[in-house]
Amino acid sequence: MASNFLSVPSDNARVSQDLARAADALQSMQAEGGLAPPDGSPNIPPAVFGAGGRQGSMLKRFDQSASTSHKGSQAPTPPQSVKGIGKKVAKPDYSESKIVLAMVGLPARGKSYLSNKLMIYLKWLEYNVKVFNVGQLRRTRARQKAQQSGIKEDHSASFFSNDNAEGTLSRDRLAEDSLEMLIKWLKDGGNVGIHDATNSSRSRRAKLEARVKREPGMMLIFLESICDDPAVIAANVALKVSSGDPDYKDMSPEHARVDFLRRIQEYEKVYETITEPDLSYLRITNVGREVTVSRINGYLSSRIAFYLMNLHLKPRSIFFSRHGESQYNVEGKIGGDSLLSPRGMEYAKALPALIMDNIGDQPLTVWTSTLKRTIQTAEDLKYTKLTWKSLDELDAGVCDGMTYEEIEQAYPDDFANRDEDKFNYRYRGGESYRDVVVRLEPIIMELERQENILIIGHQAILRCLYAYFHHLPQDDLPYIKIPLHTVIKLTPKAYGCDEERYALPITAVDTHREKPKAAQPVVQISTARQYFAPEDVTA
Amino acid sequence: MVAPLYTTDSGLLFHAGKILIVTVGLPARGKTHISRALERYLRWMGVKTQVVSLGDYRRKTLGGATKLPSDYFTLGEKTPETKALRVKVSTGCEKTIWDYFGDGGQVVIYDANNGTRAARQALAEKFDKAGIHVVMLESLCDNQEIIERNIRSVKISSPDYRGWNPDKAVEDYYIRIKDHEKYYEPVEETTWPFIRIINVGEKIMVNNIQGYLQSRIVFFLMNIHNRYRTIYFARSGQSLIEHSYKADSDLSPAGWEYAERLKEFVLERRAKQGANERRLVIWTSTRRRAHHTAWPFLATAQASASASASDVATIPEPLSPDGLSRAHRVSSPALNVKVVEKPQMSEINPGIWDGLSPDQARKYYPADWERFAKDPYAFRAPRAESYHDLSVRLEPVLIELEREREDLLIIGHASVIRCLLAYLIGLPASEIPAIEIARGDLLEVVPASYGVHSQAFHFWDGPGRRGDGPGDGSGKDENNFYENYAEDTKGKRKVVSIEVSEEEPSIGPFEEAFHASES
Repeated sequence: MASNFLSVPSDNARVSQDLARAADALQSMQAEGGLAPPDGSPNIPPAVFGAGGRQGSMLKRFDQSASTSHKGSQAPTPPQSVKGIGKKVAKPDYSESKIVLAMVGLPARGKSYLSNKLMIYLKWLEYNVKVFNVGQLRRTRARQKAQQSGIKEDHSASFFSNDNAEGTLSRDRLAEDSLEMLIKWLKDGGNVGIHDATNSSRSRRAKLEARVKREPGMMLIFLESICDDPAVIAANVALKVSSGDPDYKDMSPEHARVDFLRRIQEYEKVYETITEPDLSYLRITNVGREVTVSRINGYLSSRIAFYLMNLHLKPRSIFFSRHGESQYNVEGKIGGDSLLSPRGMEYAKALPALIMDNIGDQPLTVWTSTLKRTIQTAEDLKYTKLTWKSLDELDAGVCDGMTYEEIEQAYPDDFANRDEDKFNYRYRGGESYRDVVVRLEPIIMELERQENILIIGHQAILRCLYAYFHHLPQDDLPYIKIPLHTVIKLTPKAYGCDEERYALPITAVDTHREKPKAAQPVVQISTARQYFAPEDVTA
Repeated sequence: MVAPLYTTDSGLLFHAGKILIVTVGLPARGKTHISRALERYLRWMGVKTQVVSLGDYRRKTLGGATKLPSDYFTLGEKTPETKALRVKVSTGCEKTIWDYFGDGGQVVIYDANNGTRAARQALAEKFDKAGIHVVMLESLCDNQEIIERNIRSVKISSPDYRGWNPDKAVEDYYIRIKDHEKYYEPVEETTWPFIRIINVGEKIMVNNIQGYLQSRIVFFLMNIHNRYRTIYFARSGQSLIEHSYKADSDLSPAGWEYAERLKEFVLERRAKQGANERRLVIWTSTRRRAHHTAWPFLATAQASASASASDVATIPEPLSPDGLSRAHRVSSPALNVKVVEKPQMSEINPGIWDGLSPDQARKYYPADWERFAKDPYAFRAPRAESYHDLSVRLEPVLIELEREREDLLIIGHASVIRCLLAYLIGLPASEIPAIEIARGDLLEVVPASYGVHSQAFHFWDGPGRRGDGPGDGSGKDENNFYENYAEDTKGKRKVVSIEVSEEEPSIGPFEEAFHASES
């Protein structure tokens, strides 16, 4: 029994007293909880540590009994003792990571695509990342100049020719200015600054290297994107001329295409692939087909390489669905491992037809968590099914099995605390949203690698995954609406994901809790490319 | 009951199918080193992995180099007998590989030169036909220093050169390499996915590597290094409710005392090693009992920083009645520590058995308990984690551990230390749950090129340490509290030989000396 477990023979009377108090509290928690197995039912285990019901008052008593424990410490300022049902956690310290990631590659080789993907991934992992796109800076400055002085610069292909001395000078200056902004931003607390430019000659790269070397603690990595698949290049070119690039706004599409191809030719004349033996670089050929990694040091950089290795461009869709309504959903309880409600079962029965309508004969793999409600929901789907422990719902620790009302009643302060900063709030003995993001990282990696996937998941889990694909900020993440009995279909595109939602007409309870006393997050989903620099990087 | 994570019906992990990794490279290019490191990593993740070494096989079946015909390693036309011998060795190796796959193995690393394109192609086709994914792993080396170091440290201690004069042996080995060089064709064909490692990790090229397990392998290879560093492990201090996961309770008074003692001991130990100038990185879990155990380090670091920042003549405020003399504090260099909390390092989750003693769990869940006791590595109690789940969760930590170049102190939970230690010293996954991790021992692990040196120092005997029961598993260590049922050991085993006088630690090395192998 618990008391045996805790009473320790010790010379130190104070220690034994303290432990005895803690043991007492725990034991009475089991006894007074009324959950000691009644005679004749040896199969019901005693209550475990939790914050719900009568156990909750015991939890408080335990905290009180234990609050003196740290007084035995000789540490000068011991951290606060444990109290209540959880606490806020801080962002990990990444202040030592300072990386300049310089892109290398001809136009239309997917440099901006890769920069954007990397930025989203690293930001999701809470690194401070920013893309410094030289093209954006050029367009923005030209626009300013045009607005102020009325002089319109010629940014057609001849501007990009190496024979155009003025243009070359101007482009060199743009690249340098952009690098200076990047370095300044890193000094101000950034982690990874992506220099999105062509950096196509050895001399340009040598300049970059010399400049970054002057900054202690900063690391320079080149990321070269090579593409010799004509279909991919043609698609990139078509995207470029048709997507509203202001460089081409006064030209016919055909004219624009010709001009853009000429621009590429101008770059090709001076393009030198990376062969410098001392540079740290990653070279990606045809997005993930072949990856070369040279002199890469540092955990973050190898992680970047690993991520890039897993990317692909094949068209595919990712489907998210929560499990059908569960018995706990109906009762308003969180966590647990309950079975589906009758309406949840109905959803599970209707799901295969919906998926079939959408996907047809294409291959699909279904992922579930290890909890019964997701496995049950996937039961009638006739596809390969995989079970992932890391897809299990956010662990609510001592609050597992309680309703929000119960938590609010028993722990009003803690409850308000969680509402204040839901992303960072870690349930006692459980997890925060941040912990879940860390746990899901291997899943993201696998999702990038896979083709059509249907995830039957849980609310918090799908919120985290959804936020990754739509690049949504952390503060909004815990309030993303992922209703029950709805399938969300995401189709990755070059600069974002297209989304469709299919709600099945099977009613279910609403488990969404609005962000209290605050404006609802405006979920802006954009798949368009940004052609101008955001205001804070034009200075 | 839910099947263990990642396991498919066939018992293979990560849904990755079977993989044959064919090493390619001239002798003394570090193929064996890389093969063994990879084997250790994959086995730890629970992937059934085996290195099949052609050199070891040849020595086992034919004997050392002296027993071979003189033209066995030399260039040119060989006698029919020699040819037959060589064929016999390679067929034998291939059979070993087939047998291992047949017995449910998932990954085989075929450690041999495989220097010709035709031979590689023939080998790969055979296995590819059977649905086995083939990956070429080429190790190139153009740095003469690395090659020479490799020959001197590994090759000439191989049984082939027993009793030779070292310089003569090196000379002979160079001749052997020379012959290989003439026939060697680097992997230029892109028929098969390949990984090319240049100068043991300086540069890595990857072609068409697909599959999660495969890209994990590349990621791993990118992160290994062989710089000298020390890794220490210690358990967190005793907490108020040891056996409840959810309680996440704070340290007990004894736990706080333990934390102080741990700090003092680690600093003493590092002073003896002359390592106090180097930075110490401390990793803890996000559990209170773990990161509070690291608190005294931070307090001391703050104190020493402010002491060294202020004028030496000014007397720093004594911060704790810990008996450290003022002179000591002023003269010691600023303690350079960094504490990092890692959420993946929480102890094994006991699921619905949280708060129950092993006896209670056995009483209320007899059927589950029986399965758990039979295979604690693979069995997952309802909503709990198996040791396999824990290993998967810890995998990112392990990569960071490989990557870390500074000295590292891990303050953790018994289950977590077990997993990481088992990885470092290369124990099979099934033995992980049985490793004894006593509170009050500082485990010190120094990775070396072919394994690790490890020793343990005993520094604490207070409550929550361990009893004096026999170490064979028959006696229950009543005082060695594990944090929940799964943390408890099943048949205890000491893997790091102890110990323990603080003045003069007897060196109890646990060394894995892998046999050198060649072509």
